[in-house]
Amino acid sequence: MQEVAVLGVGVHRFGKTGDDIVGTKSVTQLCRHAVDMALKDAGVSWSQIGAVTAASSRFSGGKGWGLNGNDVVEDMGSTGIPVYNMSAGCAAGGNAFNVGYSMVAGGIYDMVLVVGGEVMPKGMIQTSGLEDPNDPEFLRQRCVGMPGPSFWSTLARRRMFDYGTTEEQYAKVVVKARKISVHNPFARFQKEVSLAEVLASPYVSNPLRLFEICPVSNGAAAVVICSKEKARQFSANPVMVATSAVATVDFSDALPRGLSGPVPAGPSFHTESKAVVLKAFEQAGIGPKDVSFTELQDNCCFYELAYPEEWGLCAPGEAERLLDAGEYAPTGRMPINPSGGFVSFGEATTAMGVWQIAELTWQLRGQSGGRQVPGAKVGLCQTNGLGGNATAAILKR
Amino acid sequence: MSQQSSPCVPGLFTEEGGARVLGNRCVTCNTPYFPKASACHNPRCTESKMEDAAFGGKGVIWSYSVADFPPPPPHKFDKPFKPYVIGVIDMENGLRIVGQLVDPLEKVQVGAKVELVIAPVYHEDDKAYTSWKFKLV
Repeated sequence: MQEVAVLGVGVHRFGKTGDDIVGTKSVTQLCRHAVDMALKDAGVSWSQIGAVTAASSRFSGGKGWGLNGNDVVEDMGSTGIPVYNMSAGCAAGGNAFNVGYSMVAGGIYDMVLVVGGEVMPKGMIQTSGLEDPNDPEFLRQRCVGMPGPSFWSTLARRRMFDYGTTEEQYAKVVVKARKISVHNPFARFQKEVSLAEVLASPYVSNPLRLFEICPVSNGAAAVVICSKEKARQFSANPVMVATSAVATVDFSDALPRGLSGPVPAGPSFHTESKAVVLKAFEQAGIGPKDVSFTELQDNCCFYELAYPEEWGLCAPGEAERLLDAGEYAPTGRMPINPSGGFVSFGEATTAMGVWQIAELTWQLRGQSGGRQVPGAKVGLCQTNGLGGNATAAILKR
Repeated sequence: MSQQSSPCVPGLFTEEGGARVLGNRCVTCNTPYFPKASACHNPRCTESKMEDAAFGGKGVIWSYSVADFPPPPPHKFDKPFKPYVIGVIDMENGLRIVGQLVDPLEKVQVGAKVELVIAPVYHEDDKAYTSWKFKLV
């Protein structure tokens, strides 16, 4: 196995169709911006890229077949290089990074471009729309009527029962996140919100409120990775990939993802997310105590409290106290989402796993300005997506 | 009310002999399925042996949420929209299942006992379309 370095990263600031940030830009235009930025940051030219791994989108570009990497290659100029389009729901960007990483580590390619971009439709993510009684998602909507956010609010409600978490504590997660967002030029929302404002926003699915659930966004991210040996030509001290991992859900997972399942013997949690993070720790020989900061998938505020506990970054039931004590902040003992998180960016679904690599890289280079984690040495990131997919990566300096 | 009623999706539940959803169970590993699974999905099960089973009766609320806004199609609802509670119920028969609660939010608590009922989800052309729901006991 070769050691793998992150040579360059690029992001198009996230926004919403029609706003001043992304306007009417196509996903190809958003990706172009991110790729150009990553190539420039790496100091390499397009013709030096040996292969592309891309996140497949169901929503934008890709010729309707998820061929988003092919769109990028055509736009940059077709050089005949291999393209891998990875589909894993919201985990697609992390999956594309994993495939790119694995191929550089395995010595197949010297230098790979990883890219993800989205132009999302308005509103909540819709189901397939098929009126097919064999489709469990159709049954879930016709027979029960369980809107997307109610999955998250069910988990949030259970935590309130298990640990006494209050609605005010959930709101505080958002206040923390948006306080950081002021310092992130790539975030869609860059304004602080007060506790009162969060608590005054309407319920989308009680107990979760509008400001506590990440909306969908348009955006793109790209990273150039290469072997350590190759990286020496460009940088004396590049950010290194300690590991990258992928996992899927276990049969024992008891979260209400479908209509029903067996009552579990033990606690209920995202088995794919825990498995992938523990696998990353094991592969890298890095433990929770070594992690300087974490970027995790906060589709809603619940995850910033639950995930650190489930992965051993802190003890079960301890998250609220750490949040209140300021330990979640970039300057705290357990910085969580120093980027501002999904709640400040909105979710450009398949771009997120690639965007996290960019955020980790800036932190480890000390380039994160007002959101910098002082002396950051090791960064952990995680995504999860439809189908029970999950990805994690650990980057180090 | 002599209004006609009909299941919102046929073949998923019954009221005959008590309200129950129609699924199956693997005889080898005892895993319950609803809706019916064509084969056992338990990777630790040695042999898939499926047998029809109907699941009804009592359970406890593992957790719940609220549809504060109408879900998008294919969901159907009576207008004007009224928010409703969605429960995740751990049933005594071993099934964890999602379903609407007929009771208002103020009365619902994690850990409360419920039973499975068949009740309307929406009305169309003077007809009530029903589904499985849960009711506090």
